[in-house]
Formats: sequence, C-alpha cells, structure tokens
Amino acid sequence: MRSVIIDALFEKMSADKDIFFLNADMGINLVERFEQHFPSRYLNVGIAEQNLISVSSGLANVGYRPFAYTISNFIIHRCFEQIRNDICLHKYPVTLIGTSTGFDNSPLGPTHHIVDDWGPLRSFPGIDIYCPSSVIYASTLIEKVIENSRPAYIRIPKGNFESRKNSLDIDLVKGSNNETLIITYGGLVEECLRLQNEDPDISVLIINKLHPLPQEELATLFSNYKLIITLEDHFALNGLYSSICEIIASQNLKVRIKKFAPKDYMPVVGKTPKFFLNKFGVDIKTLRPDQLSF
Amino acid sequence: MITGAMNKTQSKCMPTAIRMSIINMLFQSNASHLGSNMSVVEILISIYESIDCTKIINNEKERSRVLISKGHCAAATYAVLAHYGILEMSRLKSYHQEASLLTGHVNHLVEGIEHSTGALGHGINVAVGCALGLQGRGWDEAKVFAVLGDGELQEGSIWEAMMLICHLNLFNMITLVDNNKISSITNTSEVINMDPLKNRFEGFGLDVYEVNGHRVSEITEAIKTISRKRNPGIILCNTIKGKDIPFAENQPIWHYRSLDQENYDIAIEYLTSQQGGNQ
Repeated sequence: MRSVIIDALFEKMSADKDIFFLNADMGINLVERFEQHFPSRYLNVGIAEQNLISVSSGLANVGYRPFAYTISNFIIHRCFEQIRNDICLHKYPVTLIGTSTGFDNSPLGPTHHIVDDWGPLRSFPGIDIYCPSSVIYASTLIEKVIENSRPAYIRIPKGNFESRKNSLDIDLVKGSNNETLIITYGGLVEECLRLQNEDPDISVLIINKLHPLPQEELATLFSNYKLIITLEDHFALNGLYSSICEIIASQNLKVRIKKFAPKDYMPVVGKTPKFFLNKFGVDIKTLRPDQLSF
Repeated sequence: MITGAMNKTQSKCMPTAIRMSIINMLFQSNASHLGSNMSVVEILISIYESIDCTKIINNEKERSRVLISKGHCAAATYAVLAHYGILEMSRLKSYHQEASLLTGHVNHLVEGIEHSTGALGHGINVAVGCALGLQGRGWDEAKVFAVLGDGELQEGSIWEAMMLICHLNLFNMITLVDNNKISSITNTSEVINMDPLKNRFEGFGLDVYEVNGHRVSEITEAIKTISRKRNPGIILCNTIKGKDIPFAENQPIWHYRSLDQENYDIAIEYLTSQQGGNQ
C-alpha cells in the first residue's frame, strides 16, 4: 500500500513542478529516488518532525504543494500544534503521509501503536483524512488530494489489500439482508470481508475517506439497517464509532450501534497486530453474529 | 491619536511615532504585552527599511517574507506596517476590538502578515520553508526575515530550524533575536541561562552580529552584511523590554499588565518629549 502511494507521488512529481516531497529521515529504499530525480524538490529535514510540518507550511506559502512523510505516530502526535497552527489555520494544501496504523508496529511497543492519531486530528476544520484499504483507491489518492487542494492526512495501513477494486471513498459490500452493517477501515477490512464470505447476510461498509463523512448519504444507508457495528484499530472515543454516532444523533436515526475498538495503551510485546486486536476483542471471532449480544 | 503614514525619509522620528501608536493601541484596548512590543520597534523598522514594501503591498510572489515568530508583538507589527503604508493607519484603532482582524497575536488575514503565530517556536520554522521555497523558485532577490524573542529560544523547535538553516545554507534568510532579556514571567537568564548566547548560534554555524537593538543603523548594516556575504546570519539585537516607557523598562510585569489612565499619561508625556528623533 505504501509503495502504491509513493509510486503515484513520484510519477506525479515529473508533471507537477509544484510538488515538494519532505521526510523526517524515514523511508529507506523508498525515498532515495526522489532525491535522485528531483533534488530541488526533495528534503530530508532530519529527525525533527516539528520542523517537517512548519517547513512544509513555509513551502506552501511560496506556492509549493508539500507532501510530508514519516511514521504516523511521529507526524501526528509530536506535531499537533504545528498541524493546527501552521497548516490547518492557514488552509495550506499540505499532505501528511503517515505510515502504519493501529497495531501495525505491534512488537515495537505502545509509542508506535497508532490508536489515537486521526481522531484528534479530525477536530481541525478543513482537513481531509484518508485510510486506503484498496490498492486501486490508494493509486488514485495523490490525484485526489492535489485536486482538493486543502490539508490532508493519508494514514497508510500495512498488509495486502486486493479484495476491493474501486476508488470509492465509501465502498458498500451489500449483504443478502438488511439486518447488520459492519463499518470498518484500513487493516481490518480484509478480515471483515472474510467474515462476510462466511455469513453473506452481513453488509460491510468500507471507509476509505475517514473524514469528513458524507452525512446524508450515510444516514440514508443506515436507516435501512437494524444494527450497526463499528470495528476499528483506533480508540472509539473520537474515531469511527464516534463519527458514526454523530451521524445517527444528528439525523435522529433509530438504529442500534455497537463498537469494537482498542480501549487503552498496552505496553507489552505482541508479535502481530492480532495479539492486540484479540485482547481488545476487535476480531471476527468476536463478531460472529451468534456471539453478538446487547 | 494615531499618527499618519510615514515614508522612509521620515524614519528618524519613526521609532517614537510608532511607540505612540502602540501605546494608544494598547491603552484603547486594555491590552497587554507592552514590554515586548516596545523592545521590538527598531528591529521591525530595520526590516521594512531593508525590503521592497511595494511588493508586499501588491502581494507579489517574489516579495520578501517577514515572519513574526514572537507573535505577541502584534501591536508593534501592525503599527510598523501602518507606518510603512502596508496597512491602513485607520485600522490600528481596531486592535483588540470586537470582530477586528487585528488580533492580539499576529494574524495572517491582515495585510502584510505572512503567518499567524502566537504559539512560540513556529515562525522561524515556517521561515525556513519560505527561504527554501524562494531559492527553489529562483527568486533570489527576496529575503526571509524571522523575528524571535530571547525567551522563545527555549522552544526546542527553534533549534531544529537553526540546524537546517545552516545545513541548507539558507543565505536568503535573516534571523533577528529581540534580546530583551526578559522571558514570560522573569529574567530569561533565571529561567534558562543561555549566556553566552552568541556562542550557541556560532556553534550551529551561523554568522552572528551583535548590535544595539535600538539603533536602526546598526541593525540595517548587519542585514546588508548578511545579504552581501550570502552565509546564513543571525542578528542578536540587544534591547530593553518596555523601551521608552519609563515605568515599564526592564520590568517583567509589563508583559502582562495593561495601562491605566495614569500610566498612559506618563507614557504619552515621555514619548512626546522624545519626539524629534532618538537615532
């Protein structure tokens, strides 16, 4: 997924002379070609993420379209104020590219677990937040953020994402009835699609663009279902669960909603994301319809 | 109460005229940050003396950029912009007033303000991006100025910028430190003693010019030298916090205190006595 997006960016840089690619000393075997081919529009600012964001802001002031790249936890958590003041307040078309989501970096410990990045960020007015879960969607994303010309955050999950083959922000995989709608994104999508294979009654709604959500379109869809389940690799408080609840409340919908999400930091080793997801009950085992209860 | 726009030939009496504007703005709005606004006056004048203000007025892409990293010197910045004809003089009376764009920290929606700041440790980093971008565009005549406070140097992000300025040889960037030696609530040296400050900048690879920050001629000379040498430079402007306001000079409380009628009258009386030039 990462290389799909970076390839698209690299390709676009030849034609669009305003694109400037920056990183904070990350992306070995990935970013070198940018330096080689576009030395005047490439900068490794060093391990200095605050500078990464503010320098991007300055480049935008001069008319460039910066893409700032590093690991999601560094680019968001350390730089909250820089993103707020230097990017969003000024409505600069800076795109933050963060690699890793949820428990992608599972054995590295909780400083590298990305369970609280996009939720806080969505409170900033004017920012678009993406978490692609299809290769096709990812390949169109650079074009999309350039066209939108506003602050954006692309949260790149690890894994294989071959099941879905479209470029829709909101991708509905309709089940055979209108009982249960599972809403998910990123690294959990493929697992939910496997569950649907086992139980074709279930519908799965894949969110590739996390924020802002199309309120009315989703409200119409939700009104068809009896039960909505959100499944995510991010805290529910300000994540997907919260976003969906906001739609349900504002549209006065009569639908039940249940959440599956991490609940806390977990400072132990987990060899794979599944370890943590299982601990928090964020897995299809928990989600089997016969085990759902209210 | 707020005087008319001046041109560069009138600059000799400009510092006092600008301090008059500032004191009126602060008094009318019951606003604070008097000390920081008074210490930075000659620094700002020196910058606008050194650049083509017409390009700023016309918002030309090739204009020089002025980044006010110590965003709380907004009153001084707006006043200087007005005295250079970049901002309408009549707008100054709206400082700190309801629904005005002239906020207590510099606002990018005001003519001549490149970037909104207020949280410290941002402006110089944005300036680095501007300097890099201007070089990339080939707009070599444009300069980028970053105005910092000495207390602001306690922000770690500042040093991220310093490293990159030198590493990239951003010779089109000129950093000025308003070294008024008072931080937010007490003397800077008591908060974090960074003396000798000059050595710290030199250690990063910057050419350091230490000047009397209330002498426009010394500051503008340093700006010219940095521009000529094409090596990243920083101007350490030694200033007095609350300069020319007798009861406020070197008094930390005047970062926060607002003027009452008695203090206002004293300030006006003193500034009036100073009119005629303090260069």
